[in-house]
Amino acid sequence: MANPTVAAPAPANSFFRVQHTGPLTALQITDKIMAQSGAPGRAKTVDRITAGDPTAAVAGIAVTAMATFDSLKAAAAANCNLVVTYEPVWWMDDDSLDRMEGDELFAAKRDFIQTHEMVVFNFHDHWRDRTPDGIAVGMAKALGWEGYLADASRPATFRLPSTTLFGVAKELHTKLGDRTMRMVGDPRLKVRTVAASWGNTDQITMIHLLNEAVDVVICGYTHEWEAVEYAQDMIAIGDKKGLVLLGDVKSVEGGMKYCADWLKTVVTDIPVTFVPVAEPYWNPADLG
Amino acid sequence: MLAAGAAAAAVATTARPSSAGSLTAGEVIERMKQHIGGPWREGGVDGFKAGTPDTVVTGVATTMMATFDALKGALAQGCNMVITHEPTYWSHPDTLTYIQDDPLYRVKHAFLEKHNMVSYHLHDHWHALKPVDGIDMGTMQRMGWMRYMHTDNPRMFTLPPQTLLSLARDFQKKMNDRTLRVVGDPAMPVRIVYESWGNCSQFPGTQFMNTEADVLVIGEAQDWDLVEYARDLVSSGKKKGLILLGHVLSEQWGMKYCADWLKGFVTEVPIKFVRIIEPFWNLRHPVFEINTRI
Repeated sequence: MANPTVAAPAPANSFFRVQHTGPLTALQITDKIMAQSGAPGRAKTVDRITAGDPTAAVAGIAVTAMATFDSLKAAAAANCNLVVTYEPVWWMDDDSLDRMEGDELFAAKRDFIQTHEMVVFNFHDHWRDRTPDGIAVGMAKALGWEGYLADASRPATFRLPSTTLFGVAKELHTKLGDRTMRMVGDPRLKVRTVAASWGNTDQITMIHLLNEAVDVVICGYTHEWEAVEYAQDMIAIGDKKGLVLLGDVKSVEGGMKYCADWLKTVVTDIPVTFVPVAEPYWNPADLG
Repeated sequence: MLAAGAAAAAVATTARPSSAGSLTAGEVIERMKQHIGGPWREGGVDGFKAGTPDTVVTGVATTMMATFDALKGALAQGCNMVITHEPTYWSHPDTLTYIQDDPLYRVKHAFLEKHNMVSYHLHDHWHALKPVDGIDMGTMQRMGWMRYMHTDNPRMFTLPPQTLLSLARDFQKKMNDRTLRVVGDPAMPVRIVYESWGNCSQFPGTQFMNTEADVLVIGEAQDWDLVEYARDLVSSGKKKGLILLGHVLSEQWGMKYCADWLKGFVTEVPIKFVRIIEPFWNLRHPVFEINTRI
C-alpha cells in the first residue's frame, strides 16, 4: 500500500487495481507500524494481530503496556478500537490459544473484543529491535535520565549523580509510581552506574549484566531461583552489587508511552491515546 | 536399609568408636530412597551438584536454596552435607555449560571443595514424597492448616471465613514475608484456598484459578501470563484473589519438614534446618541481611 492514508475514491481508470478506498483498516495500520519501526524483523516474532478482524475500520488507536481486560475497557471508552500492546492479550508470550478451549475468561475477553469491533496488535519485538530500543528510549524519558546515558551505543546504561541503592529505588518508586518493587542488596550501597534490562530478563543476560562495571541492575522480572540467587551470592562474597525488580509493566510502560508519541507521527489522521495499566499488586503493609 | 547395614558393618570391621565419622553422603541418599515411599526416578534434576557420594558427613543441613549464605549457615552449624530444594548454581538443572568461566561459579565451587561439602539437589523426589508432597506437608504444618485440608485434594483448604487482606496478613506474619504481593479486592470474602507453592506456570495456574477456590496462593509467576490472567478474572467480575509469597519463602518450611523426616533414619550425625533469608526488601522495610564475610 503505497499511500495507505489516502481515503479518496479510486480514479476511474484504476478499475483492475486492488485499492482500498474506505477508512483505514487495522491491517493497513499495523503493516505500516511494522515497516516504519525500522526494525529488521525476526525469523520468528510474536508481533501480529492477535484478536479481532484485521479488515476492521479503525476509529482510534490505544497504546498500552499490556492488553489487560481493564486496558481494553479503557480503550473502548476512549473510542479506540485498535489496541497496540507490548504484552500479550491471551496470557502467553506468543498468545498461544492451545489451552484456552472451554476457558470462560477467554470467551468473555474475546466476546468483549468482538462486541466493540476491536483489534489487538502485539507490538513487542519490533519496538525492542528498533535502533535505539523503543522501550529503552521511553524509559529514559520517563525517568528523566536521558542526560545520564553513559555510552551512546547503550540506551539503558546510566551514570547517575552519586546516590545509594535505597535512593535509586525511591526515585524509581516516585517516578514510575511503583508500590511493590523489590530489591536485593545493601540499601546503603553507593551507586553511580546503573544498567537496566527493561521487561523480562533471562538468567544469562542478568548474570552478564551483574558482572559488568555497574553497581545496580534494574529489571522488570527475572526468575527468583536463578539470577536472584546469583545476585545474592555475589553480594555474599563481598561484591558491591544491587538488583531491582520493578515488576514487568512498570519496567516497560514508559516505553509504550513513548510508542504512543511516535505513533502520532506515523499515523496522523487517526487519534492515538496512551492507556496506562494499573500496578497489578498490593502489599498488605500498604493498606494501613 | 541395605546401605545403612553396610555402613554399620563397615563401622564394626574398622572398630571405630561410633558410626559417626564414617557415614557417607551416599549412604544418607540411599536411606532417603528407602523412605521416600515411591520409586527413585532418574532423569530429573535431583542429584549431587557438589561433592561426591563417598564424602564423610559431619552433619546434614536441609535448606530451601543452597545460596552462599545457606552454605555458610550450614558450615557454622557443623554440617558439610547440604540438601537443597533449589539449585546451587542458579538454574533448575544446575547447568554449568555457560558458567565454567564465571567468577562467582569458581568462588562458590572452590568454597564447597575447600570445606569438603556436598550439595545434593532434592527437588523432584521431595515433591513426590508419599503419602503427602514434602513441601506441602511442611507448609501446612507452618500455617496450621492440616485440619482444613480437603480429603480429595491435598492442595485445597477450607479456612474459617476471612477476607483476602486478613489471609495475606496471616501469611505475612507466619512466613515473615515483607514483600508478598496480592492481586484482587482486599475486602473479598475468602473460604477456600488452593495452593501451588513455588513457581506456578500459566498452565496449570489458570486451571487452579478456575476451581471453586476463592484464592490461589503461589510462590512466583510471570506478570504477563498468570498474573495478567488473575487480574483479568477480577476485571471480568469474578471474585478471585491471587497471592504471591515469593518462591523461596513459599516453600522453605517444606525443607524444615525434610530435616524432621531425616532425623527418623539418620541418627549418627546432627540434622539441622538452615532457614534462608527473604531475598528481597521493599521501600517500607529496607534491610540488609546477607552475610558478606567469606
